[in-house]
Order: sequence, then structure tokens, then C-alpha cells
Amino acid sequence: MSLIELNQVSKIYDETIVPIRAVDNVNLKIGKGEFTSIVGPSGSGKTTMLNLIGGLDQPTEGKIIVDGTDISTYKPDALINFRLHHIGFVFQAYNLIPVFTAKENVEFIMLLQNIPKSEREKRAVEFLEAVGLKDRINSTPAELSGGQQQRVAVARALASQPSFVLADEPTANLDSVSAESLLDLMEDLNHKHNMTFVFSTHDQRVIKRAHRIVTLQDGKIKKDEMNPAHAKSEA
Amino acid sequence: MLLTLAWRNIWRNKKRSLIIIAAIAVGLCCGLFASATMYGMWDSMINTTIDRDLGHFQIHSKDFEDEKLITDTIPNFENVLNTLKTNKYVTGVSSRILIEGMASSAATSNGVRIIGINPQNEKDVTSIYKQVINGSYFTEDWKNQIAIGEKLADNLGLHIKSKIILSFQGTDGSIIYGAFRVTGIFRTESSIFDKSNVFVKENDLQNLLNSKQISNEIVVRLSSVQVVDSVYIPVKNQFSNLSVKYWGELAPELKLFNDMLMTQMNIFLGIILFALLFGITNTMLMSVMERVREFGVLMAVGMKRSRVFFMIMFETISLSFIGGITGVIMALILIQYFGSVGINLSAFTEGLSQWSLGTRLYTSLPFSFYPPLVLMILVTAVLGAFYPALKAIKLNPANAIRTY
Repeated sequence: MSLIELNQVSKIYDETIVPIRAVDNVNLKIGKGEFTSIVGPSGSGKTTMLNLIGGLDQPTEGKIIVDGTDISTYKPDALINFRLHHIGFVFQAYNLIPVFTAKENVEFIMLLQNIPKSEREKRAVEFLEAVGLKDRINSTPAELSGGQQQRVAVARALASQPSFVLADEPTANLDSVSAESLLDLMEDLNHKHNMTFVFSTHDQRVIKRAHRIVTLQDGKIKKDEMNPAHAKSEA
Repeated sequence: MLLTLAWRNIWRNKKRSLIIIAAIAVGLCCGLFASATMYGMWDSMINTTIDRDLGHFQIHSKDFEDEKLITDTIPNFENVLNTLKTNKYVTGVSSRILIEGMASSAATSNGVRIIGINPQNEKDVTSIYKQVINGSYFTEDWKNQIAIGEKLADNLGLHIKSKIILSFQGTDGSIIYGAFRVTGIFRTESSIFDKSNVFVKENDLQNLLNSKQISNEIVVRLSSVQVVDSVYIPVKNQFSNLSVKYWGELAPELKLFNDMLMTQMNIFLGIILFALLFGITNTMLMSVMERVREFGVLMAVGMKRSRVFFMIMFETISLSFIGGITGVIMALILIQYFGSVGINLSAFTEGLSQWSLGTRLYTSLPFSFYPPLVLMILVTAVLGAFYPALKAIKLNPANAIRTY
């Protein structure tokens, strides 16, 4: 069974006289443990599709089934709760809470999940250690580099034990060393923990690492293929 | 942790938070101080009037109220006096004879109220004896001594030991003349009182009236103004054949002034709180608009809207509470200071004496005034935070995350 399933999903914005089909009749299945990139030029519908998969937006047409649950008809509050327990987010601009330390940032979602304090602290330290930030657990975002902040964001996303992680342009604000290091980390987590990652990106560094590449154009899937480079290395 | 987040959010922009805290504190402090000035003025007027001649409550015969005749005396007044003296809150009682008459000197004459007193008992209920500025308070041996106000002395051209003729209607309707010698000249805070009241010994008055001991008025002084109701209401019920009235009924203008003052103070503080409401709303709206992306992220990762709402509420209430408490402390210090040293108003002596006010104004505000005010600030904070909090939870996380 697929972890994520989009059945004839469309998202239509009718803000202008001519409605815009940001996502147009898309069918897509993503299985558990996949390392998938959704790629395409600006305006192709990557972010809209990621928002739909992540329950941040509702489709105009079609069904989105995540982890066996149809979330396309959920009310906003139900969606918030669904996101809390099923989806980990990594954003382009890191989006850590600036007044919290790295550890507190990682703990935060677990707090919302009502996980006991001792368990939260244990997991936060574990995940920060896993992303190589053991010695920066008490640093605030302002005291961390962009790459380090994004690592904290990954730790935050994973510590809540989601079904999958959605990463929207995770490397866009990073230099090449930080970007490669972050991708190494996510690839490692994918291998070791079978964690599903879905990226929206047009960064070639991410595309190269993806196992599966879904190319969008004008809101439609133009191409859905396994990454030949990855297939070769696996072989 | 959520409260920690809210608390740290307050101090993210220290300058802005401190400005709104200062605005709340200064606004509240000024409001409270202005109220304390008004209240102090009222308190001074009340106390002055109570001290001078009113006492906390008075007893008359019911007929006396209509025409204020010498013949409208209190029946069995000794019995009433003795009953009152047994009450633990009663610190003094004095019986008076009251007659409307004329005071004449060689030069001119003036209408006056002649108050026949027992000087010793009167000391327990009023402070006239402390306000004698010339001569003494009935300490001479001779008969027919009189204490008059400075204003009357000026009008009639009288000095200490000057002779003054009092004329008034006797119990049988005849006109009685009595010659008195000025032994004391007093000056109270009210020039009107000083011009129209004279004090004589009740024995001298009874001799002139050729009557037994009588009383038109019993003045009662209590340990504090707060116990008035608990004493005067039972007395009123016990002596239902008599007219028993507390100071508010005896001086309705003071009661009216009190009511007006309270209304004014409430309006004044209402205006301040209303201004604060806009200040708080503006500050929190700015704070929310600056953090649109952050709220988007919080809701995207699973923070319920209700939690976002209460986080903003907590931030606002904390800010307002700090400002409110600071303002109250500042006001308490100011009120305490000017309550002990007073504010010098000697430049307005003439006008103030018309209003029974002294030349130093002592600020005061009852403690009971503060808790509702702090509560009102918190209510204002909640109202002020409502719109910004509502705006935050109405954000679409997907759009908010992309706001820069």
C-alpha cells in the first residue's frame, strides 16, 4: 500500500478572471521509504503539490490519501492534528523558533504531541546528536549557521516520529558544503530508518541524490522516473 | 514550554515591549494620581466638615427639621446621650442648643446661628477648639463668653474682649437680648462657616432662655467614617421617634460631590483604559504581523489555533500586567509621598476656603480602588489582544510560511 496517494487531484485558484490550475488532475503514489524529488520550473506547481500532500492546502478536486486516511475533506483543525502526528516539515528558510534553543526547537513538536518531558529531552538530544549538533544543543538559531539551523529543522521533523518528511527547497539557502552534508544526513536517515522523504526542489544537488524524480510542468506530471544515477549506484 | 515561548516572545523586541509597558505604567500612574488628588480633595472636604461641626451623625427631633425652632427639642435627650456613650465605636457625643439670631456690634450686625455647647463635650466631637487663632476656647471664668469666626469678627469689627449682642427669639416668642464678650476667634477652612456661626456655653444660653436643660441637636463622633452605617442604622431604629441622619444626609452637597467625583474618576480611568486598549491592540498587531511566518510554521507543524490564540493572549496579559503593576507601584509611591507632605495650594487660599478646603491637599485613594483597576487592565489587555490573536489564527499556514 502506498504511503501517499493522489487520485486525480487538482488545485484551482480562481483569483483572476481565468482560473489557474496550479495542480491539474494529478495521480501519484509514493511508497514507504522512498526518497523522492518533485522537480520542475518555477510555477510548475511543486510547492502547491507539496502543500496538498502536507495538508497545508485542500484540493479543489480529487482525493489525497495519506497513511490510509483521506485528508482531502478534513477541516483545518483536523488537518493541524493530522500534520502534528504524521508529517515532518523541513522548510527552505529553516523556520526555527528564534527564542528557543536547538534542543527546545526539537522538543517543541513533541510537546504539542503531549510526550512526557523526560522522553522529549531524551529524544531531542538523540536526534541532535544524530544530525551532528550534540555540542550546540543550547544554541539559539541566531548562534547557528544556515546549515546547522537546517540540521536542527531535520532533527525537529524526525523527533516527532512522522510517517514521512516533506522538505520544501531544503538546500536553497545553503552553501554547497552545507547542502551536501545535509543531503548526506537525510540519505543516511532514509537508509537506516527507512524514513520517507519528499522534496520539492530545483536544486541539482538534491535531484542527483533523489531515488525517484517526479517532474511537473504546468501543474501536470510530465515525467515520473527512477533516478538513473541512483539506480546505477544501487546496482 | 508554551508559556516560556510566550514569555520569551515578549522580550524579543525589548524596546517595543518596554515602550508599551511604560505607556501602561505612566498612563495608569497619572490616572491613579489624578484620582487620588480628587479623592484627597473630597476626603479633605468631608473630614473638614465632619471635624468642624457635623460629626459623623446627628440626632434632632423630627419637628426641628422643618423650621429649626428652639422649641423643637429632643425629648429625654440625656437618655439618648447615655445610650450612645455605651457604644464602643462612639468616641464622643455632644448636645447642642441651636438658635437662629442676630449678632450685633456697635458698628453693624449679622445673621448668625448661635450654637450653645458644653465646651468639654464639644472637644470630643469637633475640632473648633484647635482652630482658635486668637484668644482661648472657653477657658475664662466669667459668664457669657463667645467664640466667633474670624470673618464675622472682621465684618463686625470685633476683637478679643469686644462686646457683642446676640438677639434671638425665646421659647415664648419674645425677643431676647444677651451681651457676650469675645474670648476666642477661630478660623476654619470655610469662610462661610466662620461668618455665620458663633459658639456660646449652653448654660449661658439656658439662663437667657430661662429654661431647664434642653437640646436641639446631638452630635456623634465615631472611631472612623467606615463604621457609620453599623452604628447609625441601629440608633435610627432604636430612636424611631427622632431624626437620625449621617453626614451624607446632613450635607447632601458633599454626598452629591462624592457621587460626581466617583463618576468623574470612573470616566477618567475609563478614558485612560480606552486609550490603552488601542495602544495594546496596536502593539500586539505589530507583533503579530512581524511574526506571520512564525505563526504559519507553528500551525503547519501542528500547533492548534486555540494554543496560538492563548499564546498571544498570554503575551498581552503579561505585558499589561507588568505595566499595570509598575503603574500601581509608581502611583502608590507618589500618593503616599504627597499624602504625607501634601501639595501646596496656598496660592488659591481664598477660593479654597469657599469650598471648605485647606491650603494643603493630601492625596489619598482607598486600597479597595486598586484590585478592580488591575482587573480592568487585564480585561483591557484581553480585549486589546483579541483582534491581533484572531488575525493570527486566521492565517493560512501555507501562505504565512512564505511571508518575508
